[in-house]
Amino acid sequence: MLSIFKKEIRTYFTTVTGFGFLGFMVLITGYFFVSQNIAAANPSYNDSLAGSMIMFLILIPILTMRLFADETRQKTDQLLFSAPIKVTDIVAGKFLAAVALYLIGLAITLVFPVILSRYCEMDWGLTAVGLLGYFLMGACLISVGLFISVLTDNQIVAAAATFAVVFLLLMMDNIASSAPINTVSSLVFAGALIAVIAIVVYNSTKNIAAAGIFALLGFVITGVLYLFKPLIFDGFIIKVLGWFSALNRFENFYMGVVSISDLVYYITFSVAFLYLTTNVIEKRRWS
Amino acid sequence: MIEVKNLTKKFGTHTAVDNISFVVNDGEIVGFLGPNGAGKTTTMNMMTGFISSTEGTVRINGFDILEDPVKAKKQLGYLPDVPPVYGDMTVEEYLRFVCDLKGVKKSDRDFMIKDVTSTTGIKDVYKRLIKNLSKGYRQRVGLAQALIGDPDVLILDEPTSGLDPKQIIEMRELIKKLGKKHTVILSSHILSEVSEVCDKILIINKGKLVAVGGTEELMHKADGNAQLVTVKGDAYRAVEKLREWSAVEDVMIESDNGDGTFDLKVYGKEGADIREIIFASMAEEYMPVLMLKPLSSGLEEVFMNIINGSMDNSEVEKEQLSIAFAQGGAENDGESGSEEAQE
Repeated sequence: MLSIFKKEIRTYFTTVTGFGFLGFMVLITGYFFVSQNIAAANPSYNDSLAGSMIMFLILIPILTMRLFADETRQKTDQLLFSAPIKVTDIVAGKFLAAVALYLIGLAITLVFPVILSRYCEMDWGLTAVGLLGYFLMGACLISVGLFISVLTDNQIVAAAATFAVVFLLLMMDNIASSAPINTVSSLVFAGALIAVIAIVVYNSTKNIAAAGIFALLGFVITGVLYLFKPLIFDGFIIKVLGWFSALNRFENFYMGVVSISDLVYYITFSVAFLYLTTNVIEKRRWS
Repeated sequence: MIEVKNLTKKFGTHTAVDNISFVVNDGEIVGFLGPNGAGKTTTMNMMTGFISSTEGTVRINGFDILEDPVKAKKQLGYLPDVPPVYGDMTVEEYLRFVCDLKGVKKSDRDFMIKDVTSTTGIKDVYKRLIKNLSKGYRQRVGLAQALIGDPDVLILDEPTSGLDPKQIIEMRELIKKLGKKHTVILSSHILSEVSEVCDKILIINKGKLVAVGGTEELMHKADGNAQLVTVKGDAYRAVEKLREWSAVEDVMIESDNGDGTFDLKVYGKEGADIREIIFASMAEEYMPVLMLKPLSSGLEEVFMNIINGSMDNSEVEKEQLSIAFAQGGAENDGESGSEEAQE
């Protein structure tokens, strides 16, 4: 794992990527710092953090587009996957390298709250919690970007797809809030969800019976629930979309609240995508 | 020691490798021979654990590549058909990374890198970026990579592809040298290369193993027992005379040279030495034998025979095929098997 980690870090800094990333991150954070804190005479650095989240749209693709796409294109994946090292170590090494670069950027931007503390009474506890949330959020999105990078051998495609997905994740709250809340649409949505999962099950197992049973079971359970507890379906779409809203979770950190459920959410989210990444690699080898 | 048992790989409905079994003993240099798309690269990818097999097992020094991958891969050095090098690293950085990847001890690294760079002759490009190197040097850097960690088994996928003739000769010498210390499996569609370098040949076609044997053995097998004879005199008389012998299977007039001499092809029964018979019967008729030479089929012909699954093809067809084959080898076009492997 360490070998991959070191290699990725070195590649970040021998190419323009690493410095470009850091420069961009500091620039955008600096802009929000000036507009949210300095110009607005606001002592809460968390406002800068919340505002600058929009830069993930650009930062995450820069960080992750290369990670696997370039290995596949250069065919160096043959070296990695025939080396005496586990696939999970390769995935973890790459993920940690991207996270490490992100942490370096975060460390540099610490200069802003330090500047702020000279002019006002800072709540360092609040800022620390905000930074923790900001870090976890970034790590989550990096895991998504890493997953997308493994799906293609074209960096540009990886970057564009990552941009789109990060956009969706950041916008999820907006989408959810405009979703219909009546029961019929909820039922339709639940049905579609079950169908999609059934297709995924079929795709990964090639077993039509398993997928069929899964779909049937899903529909039956939905139907039973609807008959006996129709209240569950009130605002069902919003609830489901809310699970995917990484931004939603950040609000607690923003307000200085660290809750176990949020920590678990972010960690689970990252681990799930790393697991998916490993799975895609393994599946490609097996198919 | 490598044991491959009932190895099969299917891509969807297409069977790229079909039930291949063989054993490679320690210290052997084995050539994997087959036309483009025969399944050489796919087989090698399975042997190195890059892709998994649909069925069958590969054991490297007793370690199963799928069940015990880390231990099995430790015994392996792999040079794929495209050298897996990073363009934006220098040769030094790259080799240090590979040492790291293969878990070579820190104290051994400097010595190991020195050793492989001098073996592969890349000392003078040591500090250069790999993307600025020529194809030949990249291939050598790829080979250096395979040698790091001093693996028992080297698997080289078309190690000479894309090299110029001088580099090809150097690469062959290098492989021969490596064969003294390592077990080497190399694939190629160039026959002369395999016959020169390898002790044993595996011929693979359409995913099936069609022949296994020593280089000499295979050549002998297809040689048959035929002689090309140039005699002076009456062709029909000569044919008649030769056909009287029970040891002679068949006689054909190959060509009339127009100066009173003509060429005959004489096929003998298996095991019979027909040279004396030819001499004696021609001498009897006072038809001087001007030339007598075995119709030796080179490895090319053996190969074509095996690939075509019969020994009875007409000479013309064989010749055309072997020319086509030789051209295919010279172009070194990318092997379609590797593309299949990417699917």
